[in-house]
Amino acid sequence: MSRRSDDDFASEIEAHIALEAERLRGEGMSADDALAAARRAFGNATLARERFHESRRTLWWDDFRRDSLYGLRALRKSPGFASVAIATLALGIGANSAVFSVIQAVLLRPLPFREPDRIVGVTRNQSLPDLDDIAARSGSFESIGAVHFRALDYTGGDAPVQLKAGLCALRYFEVFGVRAERGRLIGPEDDLARAGRVVVVSHAFWADRMGSDPGVLGRTIPLSGEPYTIVGVLPASVRLPGAPADVWASELVVEPRDAPARDVHILHAFMRLKRGVSIERAQSELHAIDRWLEQAYPDENSGRRRDLEPLREMLVADSRRALLVLFGAVGLVLLIACANFAGLQLARGSSRRREMAIRGALGAGRWRLVRQMLTESVLLSLLGGAAGLGLAHLGARALVSLRAGSDARLVPIRIDAVVFAFTAVIAAGTGLVFGLVPALAASRLDPQAGLRGGSGGQSASGREVRLRRALVVSEIALALMLLAGAGLLIRSFRNLRSVEPGFRADHVLTMRLELPEARYEELSKQRLFRSRLLDSLNALPGVDAALVSELPMDGDALTQHFVIDGRPPVPVGEAPEVLSRTVTRKYLRLLQIPLRAGRDFEDRDREDSPLVAIVNQSFVRANFPSGSAVGARVSWAPDPGKPPEWMTIVGVAGDVNHFGPARPEEPAVYDLYEQTPRRWKRWMFVVVRSPSEPATLLREVTARIWELDRQLPPTNIRAMSEVVEGSTESQKFNLLLLGAFAVLALALASIGVYGLIAYSVARRRREIGVRMALGATSLAIVESIVFGAVRLAAAGAAIGVAGALLVTRLMTKLLFGVGPRDPATLAGVVGILALVAVIASWIPARSAARVPPMSALRAE
Amino acid sequence: MSTRERDERLEILQGTLDLLILRTLIFGPQHGHGIALAIQRTSAEELLVEHGALYPALQRLEERRWISAKWGTSSNNRRARFYALTAAGRRQLAKETSKWKRLAAAIGRVLGPEEA
Repeated sequence: MSRRSDDDFASEIEAHIALEAERLRGEGMSADDALAAARRAFGNATLARERFHESRRTLWWDDFRRDSLYGLRALRKSPGFASVAIATLALGIGANSAVFSVIQAVLLRPLPFREPDRIVGVTRNQSLPDLDDIAARSGSFESIGAVHFRALDYTGGDAPVQLKAGLCALRYFEVFGVRAERGRLIGPEDDLARAGRVVVVSHAFWADRMGSDPGVLGRTIPLSGEPYTIVGVLPASVRLPGAPADVWASELVVEPRDAPARDVHILHAFMRLKRGVSIERAQSELHAIDRWLEQAYPDENSGRRRDLEPLREMLVADSRRALLVLFGAVGLVLLIACANFAGLQLARGSSRRREMAIRGALGAGRWRLVRQMLTESVLLSLLGGAAGLGLAHLGARALVSLRAGSDARLVPIRIDAVVFAFTAVIAAGTGLVFGLVPALAASRLDPQAGLRGGSGGQSASGREVRLRRALVVSEIALALMLLAGAGLLIRSFRNLRSVEPGFRADHVLTMRLELPEARYEELSKQRLFRSRLLDSLNALPGVDAALVSELPMDGDALTQHFVIDGRPPVPVGEAPEVLSRTVTRKYLRLLQIPLRAGRDFEDRDREDSPLVAIVNQSFVRANFPSGSAVGARVSWAPDPGKPPEWMTIVGVAGDVNHFGPARPEEPAVYDLYEQTPRRWKRWMFVVVRSPSEPATLLREVTARIWELDRQLPPTNIRAMSEVVEGSTESQKFNLLLLGAFAVLALALASIGVYGLIAYSVARRRREIGVRMALGATSLAIVESIVFGAVRLAAAGAAIGVAGALLVTRLMTKLLFGVGPRDPATLAGVVGILALVAVIASWIPARSAARVPPMSALRAE
Repeated sequence: MSTRERDERLEILQGTLDLLILRTLIFGPQHGHGIALAIQRTSAEELLVEHGALYPALQRLEERRWISAKWGTSSNNRRARFYALTAAGRRQLAKETSKWKRLAAAIGRVLGPEEA
């Protein structure tokens, strides 16, 4: 419609007043009186103009505001309904917002680097010489950098502690586009040893250990026996993959032996693509360089392919599936909450028939009534959303603390604008979609029936009954899908926990030590420390102590190439790999790893006696499929030009679940700390078994360590049973969350089903009264109600099972020892929901059957 | 809506005014003043149309396209805005009328036979 002007309206009013004045004059009034009376009769002309104005611009807004105020008044009048509805939605929406805030942080928000889409990572660890060659030969990358995290001892404080050090190579900080808070960061210029040892400290280290000293630049700190000069501070806001680290230094300076070695692959490599270069182009160029490296350095590079991956993919790889499953789960929770919400509104709608009928009779159209109900529904859902946002805030905090150790999170989890918008949209959408059907149902009536009927007691329309039944069926179906998922995870987790790890974890204390190179470069010093430590610990009453280089289920593993005596020689670099574990003599006995053949390490196996090794069963299966391994000889693949150092296999040990219960053991070779010539194996786990609780031993053990070396910090101090539990951490996390959502879903669905059935029973009071008056026993009444509910539950269960079979397939990768269609789980879940249906219908049925028929008939 | 009691005549409920306007226009285009007078006359002076409330109502009906308007000249040669019923308005009138009659009958039954 073309816009009507203000003036036009004003002149219409003037015309009206003139006409009225004329009429009054015709009745004999004087001209002045007539005009005054006409103006009086019109009332306030300015007000009319204002109304005209408002209605032009904001007719809908006016209606909306009126509806909202009316709705708020109506809700205040039924606080029970309002608070149950808001609480239900708050739970459903809050769970969604919490999980979405994690998804937003992990999967959606841009990583906190300059142009993060241009950063890629190499999927496998690299050696520095290879990366140097790649940097020299490639044209796709603006910069290439690498990092390697390790522990360095810090002895500048009260007690020696271990710091996490990020050792950088090439242009590591440049790749990420990070700048220093003070001073500068580590760059290629620091790789030259003559530049002196320099270090960049984290903001936290500067604040906690240096007292935020403004003159920190130039100060010197001792790290693993060497002095380092601080040249910069890294801002607190910077989070890098694999970090947070306490200090940053040059890989070439800290690892002068390993860093220049082409066969030491310990660096995580990252590249920044040149502007306009696609990852595909960079990848094909890199593969060409791979082939060149393979020809130039066949020993170290044969068969080595370097695959690029966007940084984001690299970081979230494992968590994406679990997050999406959780998101699906909270989606189901929300749907159940919505079904409850719709059920509540349906009940409320039919108790408001009279009100609707009166408004309809007074001229409000059906759309107008629907809009009124929808406005109330959206009001409720927005209030629920606001409360849900509060819950989500708490939930996100709980999620963070549950998974404090997760590396994947460079972006902090919080309720940001996107999470807020997401919440607002699902809240409003929930109110609209799930308010619409009840609103249509409530507004579909003719005024006479509405005005005639009482507020309750009359039987409900068939359409409404069908709607309520549909809600019961869908609540059961949705809850079943979620419970099935959680049930499968519970079974997986129980399977994981019941896996025999191949060793005994109880009453064992473990801690990690690493002898600093500065003080323990010579093998003889390392051996002396180890034997004195073991003597000292074993002298404690009732205590057995041993050492191992890689603790089972701790997460670390070391693989090495090896050769078997008498087998045809393989080209250099193609020797098979095997897990290498260096131990002291008592280790297998101490963890009660069973011996399957041959003998254990014994006292006669010393530094100067013939070299011996023990292999595990997987090793025998892989390398001696038809025969005994005992007596054969193996050697770590020797450096080119050197002879192998043969070790005789004296025994076969049982397999242990080195990588946690979910992964099978791999072939492994145990050798002896007493015999190993490898100086670089300066780290060890101290393993102590005693009859008392592991924690009670801690003080004594650290005291013995510090007697030998006051500057050695024990780290990773845990009971072995904690190590075992830690190996199922992520499964536990998934289980806890999905389990919590399933419990929430079950609770909501139970309440919802109970509410719907109780309401329908209440609506049938009169009918029940008639039936009882006609001789039906209360048992028959209860039976028929419960039977009806169970029939609905059966329909819901059938749909839910079909849905679960479709949905749980997506979880296959999260399961262990149980299939996604596990019939026992499904049967159990169906049983739980059947129970819910029986209880939810039995309670209202029993109370309905107890009411004397006459009072039920009279109740009006 | 302001409610000033001026005499014994009945004030018109919101919603019913729309119906009355539509009904009045069935006899042909009329300006606002004419509509107000016509309602008063045809209701045997029982119904009072507050002139100030009339125009927002007309505006509302026009926006819903139940009536259309154009400027013209009144019988006593004054310029006035004349309103006419549209086809949609005619349909709306039929609908509202039957609804109103049902309502009136229902209320009548609820109130029961007149007592005095």
